[in-house]
Amino acid sequence: MELDEQRQDPLATVAVSGRVDGATAPVLEQRLKAVVERGDCNVLLDCAEMDYISSAGLRALLVGAKSCQQNGGRLVVCGLRPACKTVFEVSGFFSFIDCHDTRDDALLAAKARLAGE
Amino acid sequence: MKISLNNDTGEIRGAAERIDAYCASHGVPADVAYAINLAVDELLTNTIDYGYDDDGAHGLEIVLRMDGSVVVVEVADDARPFDSSRTTAPDTAAGLEERSIGGLGLFLVHELMDEVGYRRDGGRNIVTLRKRAVAAGGRRVSDSR
Repeated sequence: MELDEQRQDPLATVAVSGRVDGATAPVLEQRLKAVVERGDCNVLLDCAEMDYISSAGLRALLVGAKSCQQNGGRLVVCGLRPACKTVFEVSGFFSFIDCHDTRDDALLAAKARLAGE
Repeated sequence: MKISLNNDTGEIRGAAERIDAYCASHGVPADVAYAINLAVDELLTNTIDYGYDDDGAHGLEIVLRMDGSVVVVEVADDARPFDSSRTTAPDTAAGLEERSIGGLGLFLVHELMDEVGYRRDGGRNIVTLRKRAVAAGGRRVSDSR
């Protein structure tokens, strides 16, 4: 797994590539925690290059999403590949994580949402 | 195909690559291979993290075979007796605040596989997974044996 972080207002974007499993999920969890702790509570996880996610990865996202929400923001995802999307769906994660096709879609939606708040 | 590994979650990635290669060479669609890999990963991770009463080395074994157009996977370990069908499913309709962390891995195994069987045999847990090798669109793959 590799993580690449960028800031594209109004979102802190973390692009994840490779495998998010029991061995790598703690690294993702720590990174999301660090992003929120420095004050970025509107976070986009770009999953376009993510090959695989297991329940360990979903747990890391759940922890991240809770911490974004507790700080008044939101965790959203984009670019999920079909097999990964199925795992999110079956797990019921789309009831609390918005999913966008592309990074641009996510940015537009976040701008509209934050303008309305 | 038989894959042997130790009780080290770091070895699961290597096993996953071999499962992918087996599936590809038997015409199993990529999304089915993903589901099988996920189920195997969740079973192994759960056993390695929670299944043993000691800190010693243990062997685990994965056996894959095709039964017509069905992929059959056996995952065996010598951990404490454990039947994953007796675990409680998470509340997948819960909102973010109510959603609890955990319980998801074994739930995914049962959701994504067509059948999950369990037996205890000779001091080993043996979980048998069955998954039809049919692409997401419903297309049946040709039998490539």
